[in-house]
Amino acid sequence: MPEWYGPYGGAYVPETLVPALRELEVAWRSSRRDRAFRSELERLSHDWGGRPTPLYFAENLTREVGGAEIYLKREDLLHGGAHKFNNALGQGLLAKRLGKARLIAETGAGQHGVATAMVGAKLALPTEVYMGAVDMGRQRANVQRMRLLGAQVRSVEHGARTLKEAINEAFRDWITNVQTTYYLLGSAVGPHPFPSMVCDFQSVIGREILRQSRARWGAPPDLALACVGGGSNAIGTFHPLLRTSTKLLGVEAGGSGGPTAVGSASLTRGRPGVLQGMRTYLLQDAEGQVLETDSISAGLDYAGVGPEHAFLKDSGRVEYTAATDTEALSAFHALARTEGILPALEPCHAIAEAIRRAREMPKDARIVVTLSGRGDKDLEVVGAHAAPR
Amino acid sequence: MQHLGEVLARRKAAGEASLLVYAMAGSVPEERFLSVVDALSEAGVTGVEIGFPFSDPMAEGPVIQRAASEALRGGYHWADLQRLLRACAERLPCAVMTYLNPIVQRGEARAVEEIAAAGGSALILPDLPVEALRPFREARRVHRVDTVLLASPATQEDRLATLVRKSEGFLYLVSRFGTTGLGGGDTPSTRGREGDLAPLLQRAHAIRPKLPVLVGFGVRTEDDVLRHRRAGADGVIVGSAVQALLSDGRPVAEVVERVRPLVEALHAPLLPA
Repeated sequence: MPEWYGPYGGAYVPETLVPALRELEVAWRSSRRDRAFRSELERLSHDWGGRPTPLYFAENLTREVGGAEIYLKREDLLHGGAHKFNNALGQGLLAKRLGKARLIAETGAGQHGVATAMVGAKLALPTEVYMGAVDMGRQRANVQRMRLLGAQVRSVEHGARTLKEAINEAFRDWITNVQTTYYLLGSAVGPHPFPSMVCDFQSVIGREILRQSRARWGAPPDLALACVGGGSNAIGTFHPLLRTSTKLLGVEAGGSGGPTAVGSASLTRGRPGVLQGMRTYLLQDAEGQVLETDSISAGLDYAGVGPEHAFLKDSGRVEYTAATDTEALSAFHALARTEGILPALEPCHAIAEAIRRAREMPKDARIVVTLSGRGDKDLEVVGAHAAPR
Repeated sequence: MQHLGEVLARRKAAGEASLLVYAMAGSVPEERFLSVVDALSEAGVTGVEIGFPFSDPMAEGPVIQRAASEALRGGYHWADLQRLLRACAERLPCAVMTYLNPIVQRGEARAVEEIAAAGGSALILPDLPVEALRPFREARRVHRVDTVLLASPATQEDRLATLVRKSEGFLYLVSRFGTTGLGGGDTPSTRGREGDLAPLLQRAHAIRPKLPVLVGFGVRTEDDVLRHRRAGADGVIVGSAVQALLSDGRPVAEVVERVRPLVEALHAPLLPA
């Protein structure tokens, strides 16, 4: 399990967390080889979570676009409505194994918070979720879900009051309560071992894509896309495909799209730095102050990105690009209209790019997009924007 | 201009405890900052830790978080810090405390050189792990700026030995599980618990008898100072308790009144608890 991805990654944390991160790494190393742990994870993923998720041929969308075949990896059909389940369940079982009495988590769009609340309820672990006040406002349905599942939602009121601040606050809680508390970090970010551990738990997405595409057309896809905020659904999609010939494309949030807007596109518009325990690409000013980001999707609204993505960008193995709020919204409506699916706004960024690429590719080429979550949580946000005609 | 590490070592050798005061640069106008430093110097404080604001201060409690965002909102820059540091270092030995990213973006070597040029003699970065110390060691040989490492009540024995051996100037021992200050005490992220520091201090002194060990985080009263001295600390660091007064715009005299009993507690004879 790598601590470094080239120059990226590491564990830049206050000393109080060092023993806890070591303990976590040791526990994870032994668990991933442990048959009982793996079969419990598999059983719950299957019976409780609904894995494997389908690889769905979006036939109508494909016809409308008129290019390569577009397939959707339906993580939106997973219990809780997003890929976050994969990681929350895995780490929840690990917390139990470590004998921790309490779960904490951060959440942006609320999907990871919901997944953690579900796991907390299932495993009988009291759960507290930190969420930026702005995100609580735009993802009210998920706040309600977390509360109904028995979690406490703690509003974070400083800075831009979105995901980055929620992560800071969760880390502060962990520093304070590290002896009793498990920090269930929701993306492939933060200090080692979180990025590689989260990648491990999310790689089930890419493994299934590989198996399903081989079963269907006897080869890996020609192109696989996923949206990138912290980058957990993307790294889970990409990792098992790294050794295939599949072209890989990560799509960040370009935000409102103005000429000076940075959106939340740390890989396409940032430069390397150190934030929240990791060395990675950051949106920052000349003196290293981290910038406020903007995106229509709370789940992508983050100034950093997982360190493995930083490495994959530099190495050229994965291409990264950005889609704007407007492009994501039209992808939302396109999918609703053609396929009867309401996608979360996060994967709409990847769908927007997939539509663009499909047009340039031959009709017998196959594109897989990870549909990382469903759109119920975004109805208010989408409703506030006029549907394109 | 006095070198903080040297002053602390001298005091330790003479059996005198030390007191450092932390304040966030840019949280109050420079003139006021300097008059506070003047008054603290007069009151017998050993040195100043000047905080340089960072947008995401992971180890800070509410008081210093707020001070940092105030400073950034006011447009505080590295050039401002260099000017402030130059003026402070004429009055008291000075350290700079910030987070790794502003230093990395400046370039480690360049940042250390500029701190040295302004008269600073130590750098404290709570998110710098000992494993990433290398660029700072080289800069220290040239510019004599110490990179101070932090240890915590959670630190295990083997790790403590490494930190004690590699820390420069002094070792910053965090007193508690938690962030800086005592916060409201009623939210999970501020309800920290003090660690049992005596065994850690004993071990640190045994490994490197000449290295001063100062205790910080949540230090605010004479009792705190006496308790940490009894546990074996060579001094204490007061941050949030003073910063709260500065941020509230309290008069300089009140800041000094707050600190004076702590200075007196440095010299008070130690009776068994």
